[in-house]
Amino acid sequence: MNELPPAVEADGLTKRYGGFTAVDALDLRVERGTVVALLGPNGAGKTTTVRMLATLVAPTEGSARVLGHDVVAEGDAVRRELALTGQFAALDKHLTARENLVLIAALRGHGRAAARRIADELLERFDAGEFASRQVGSLSGGQRRRVDLAASLVAQPGLLVLDEPTTGLDPRSRQAVWSAVRDLVAQGVTVLLTTQYLEEADELADRIVLIDRGREVAAGTPGELKARVGDQRVDVIAPDAAALDALTGALERRFSLEVAHESRTISIPAPDAARDLTDVAAAVRDLGVPVDEVALRRPTLDDAFLALTGHAAHETSPDDIAQEVAA
Amino acid sequence: MSAHALPAAPPLRGPALLRGVRETLLLTGRSLRAIPRVPERLVDVTIQPIIFIVLFLYVLGSAVKVPGTSYVDYLLPGVLAQQLAFSIMGTGTATATDLKDGVVDRFRSLPIGRWSVLSAQVLSQALEAMLGLAVVGVLGLVLGWRPDLSVADALELGALVFLALIAVTWVGVLLGILARSADAVQGIVFCVVFPLTFLAGTFVPISGMADVPRVIGEYNPVSTLVATMRDLTGGVHETGAWPLAHPELALVLWCAAALAICVPLAVRRFRRMSVM
Repeated sequence: MNELPPAVEADGLTKRYGGFTAVDALDLRVERGTVVALLGPNGAGKTTTVRMLATLVAPTEGSARVLGHDVVAEGDAVRRELALTGQFAALDKHLTARENLVLIAALRGHGRAAARRIADELLERFDAGEFASRQVGSLSGGQRRRVDLAASLVAQPGLLVLDEPTTGLDPRSRQAVWSAVRDLVAQGVTVLLTTQYLEEADELADRIVLIDRGREVAAGTPGELKARVGDQRVDVIAPDAAALDALTGALERRFSLEVAHESRTISIPAPDAARDLTDVAAAVRDLGVPVDEVALRRPTLDDAFLALTGHAAHETSPDDIAQEVAA
Repeated sequence: MSAHALPAAPPLRGPALLRGVRETLLLTGRSLRAIPRVPERLVDVTIQPIIFIVLFLYVLGSAVKVPGTSYVDYLLPGVLAQQLAFSIMGTGTATATDLKDGVVDRFRSLPIGRWSVLSAQVLSQALEAMLGLAVVGVLGLVLGWRPDLSVADALELGALVFLALIAVTWVGVLLGILARSADAVQGIVFCVVFPLTFLAGTFVPISGMADVPRVIGEYNPVSTLVATMRDLTGGVHETGAWPLAHPELALVLWCAAALAICVPLAVRRFRRMSVM
């Protein structure tokens, strides 16, 4: 396996729109058979990066190879190996889910009968049979995303690129997409995904690359990054100083904890989220001391940025980018 | 979810040109399939010419006398030519809208010829516009239009109309790519194409106009189109300026020029296009 080129190898990849630098000398490497997450806020350059890899946008500077093929010089070879599921469902809304899949399979070079068979297999695989004959425009966001993912799989991709696969989805649909992705990974598909959710990167990726303003700001395994960001914890907030002292005295016998007197908050590490939360809640109830709040806190993208870069993430909305491009 | 192995991509077969033709037909099929599902699109392209026919035939036309022909026979080829020229608007807006849609990204990320996406856009738009012209033409026949067409004339007319549609559609596609928004396309078409379709002997003869509009009218490509339609349907068309005296040849030349300019520009812009 080692003699084969990596799935993605980008060197100094840069994209400028006028005076605005969307991606700034990004180096990125995705080994075959792994899942890498590009994690960052809106406007960090995630989508522009995957669009360059998918040959939809030409880089301004730098180079990128997908499975050994240069994205500029060997676009056709890249497109044969790469499948992209974009941030916005890339389907024809007037066609049914099945018609979309048949069309894409046919465009991939399958004959009519093979295209139909592949579409039906994918619909079954993604539990999309019940809405297969409905126009995509009438499907829910979660259903559309599943069809979209299926569309990326009409041929086994050497690299599957998922651009914000669960943005805007409800928790149940998000779980469905995650389980579909895990299933693909189990079959050895290499995945590059972009996300704004630390939790999603943690759930799916072997390696996380945190990017901000088109630059890598940190990279590592989820474990490494979490060790730097801090794990999830249970916060107990007391209504006054007396209650805080009472709670601290009782809880420190059972849990290791940190106390922030200013915010009257007791923080307890919660590696086993649900159990730790119920344990703490039960202990607090047994004490009979009044509390304002007992809550599970998961580190967010903001926490990660603060911990890893020392500053908050720069949120750039697409409108801002459009304005900067126009300027 | 069951864990079937994924199907492998079939190897590429045949020469690139043949694959491109197949891709174009597949993508054209996807666009045409939308027509019965979005019937208002067809209404959009036929409602305006129908209003113009009724308005001119029964309101303004009563005051227009064209020697040697009835007004309905004079009007219909003009309205059809105007409708054809206006399909720039439909193509332009459809292209601008489609390019913003994620589905074109999907197509562009597939291992297919990039020109297939554009040629399919052109072919499907031209066929849709042809359908719109047929609807208006039939309405004209109902209202008393009596074209004098031999079989050879009909074939020539069909071929020239299709050629003109392809040329006009490429102009619209280029416009759609450059303008990037449906509203912008509508604005441009309304300011440029709309006046040209009036300065073309569409509703009233050019010969009676003052010098400036008359000269514009004589060398306006829409006039050539109108004259071709009239010539082949046995109507009265103006002569004088060279394009009006040889409308079929002039039309072919106009189309060739439009294609020679618009196709390479559109393909190049499309290749380079970087939608955010």
